[in-house]
Amino acid sequence: MTDVSLEFDHAAALAKCARGEHDALHQLYVYEGARLLGVVIRIVKDRGMAEDIVHDACLNIWQRADSFDPSKGSARAWIFSVARHLALNAIRYRDREINFANDPADELAQDEHFQHAYVAEEAFDWQTGQRMDSCLEQLEPERRNCVLHAYVDGLSHAEISAHTGAPLGTVKAWIKRSLLRLRECMA
Amino acid sequence: MTRPSQHDQISEDDHALAGEYVLGTLSLTQREALEARLPNEPELQKAVMAWEERFLPYTAITTRVTPSDYLWPRIERSLKVREEKAREASTKRAGSVNNPPRSRRMRHSLPLWRGAAGFGLAAALVMGVMLTNELTEPTTPEYMVVLLAPQTQSAGWVVQASSRQEIELIPLGTFEVPEGKALEFWTKADEWQAPVSLGLVEPGQPIRMRLDQLPPLEDNQLFELTLEDETGSATGLPTGPIEFIGRAVEI
Repeated sequence: MTDVSLEFDHAAALAKCARGEHDALHQLYVYEGARLLGVVIRIVKDRGMAEDIVHDACLNIWQRADSFDPSKGSARAWIFSVARHLALNAIRYRDREINFANDPADELAQDEHFQHAYVAEEAFDWQTGQRMDSCLEQLEPERRNCVLHAYVDGLSHAEISAHTGAPLGTVKAWIKRSLLRLRECMA
Repeated sequence: MTRPSQHDQISEDDHALAGEYVLGTLSLTQREALEARLPNEPELQKAVMAWEERFLPYTAITTRVTPSDYLWPRIERSLKVREEKAREASTKRAGSVNNPPRSRRMRHSLPLWRGAAGFGLAAALVMGVMLTNELTEPTTPEYMVVLLAPQTQSAGWVVQASSRQEIELIPLGTFEVPEGKALEFWTKADEWQAPVSLGLVEPGQPIRMRLDQLPPLEDNQLFELTLEDETGSATGLPTGPIEFIGRAVEI
């Protein structure tokens, strides 16, 4: 699994957006649009809504580009965080009255990735060649899968609990402990 | 748990909370609570950014999806609308404070207000043509909104505005309202902080209303119908699920 992102200068694109250059946003869109849409679709599970969110993310990136501070993190992480948090807020907003009649869980049950998520094997090819890989590797497979599925599919504690059959409290404790172990490992 | 001051290291709990925020496991309320803390807590911001960096490589697990050909033109159009507005606003303020309007931040918690509503642009234009042919009144509406069901994306209602102060909400079909519930009608323009209730509506019944209390209708203004208790939302803000949603298109 490779993710080519080295040849595009995300920070420079943001700096140009901050100066009001439309072309810079367009180049960013051409370069990252398909990846952004892919990330957002996995979270919201609705193509139309996902395109709306990428639309909003682009406007948001444009509007807030001048607040990006390269000393605080990478431009690419910042760009993806804008889109992901719009998507996460949107699904949490949509589901704020949990309606189990058309539970997104039904869709997840048909998601082939998901069916393998909680067996003790690898749910997907997750190794990226980054340092974080070895930290994730130290987690028990089912906990690693919980963490990665939460990140990629935007699952809530309750959704993870419903699918693993593990009690809500257990899921919360798993995730919290996994995060603290990851942080320690990355330190 | 005591809240550390800005200069202190943040607690282990907050590191985990920042991680959960980035993972996405938190509820809307928890997310909003954390987002409200961020502007004043630089250490918490750092913790969030650190998690963003750690997890970013795993976005590569997802498959790339090529956006439709309409998406970029739509973004560009929205950019222009926004810049136009910013220019108007700065012209109005000319001579006073030199305050570049585009540095104004969008509210981060805005997604669905901007989100689910966008689908209907092409449909709205098509419907606009269709409806002006069908309706007997020869007045040309200035604005048109098609309200779609977010799940099925089927059109349920149309809003027509023959002026910027008067609208008509027209049902395109029927809608089954559960016992003890009602449909409440809301609107929100881009710059407003929160949606405003336009009252309860009867499914299947057209209703005409004047918006005298509100600023004139504008392009891209959001309209939605949510399912609330039969007396309407007690909080003055939508609390129930969105049944229909759409944005105003200038015709």
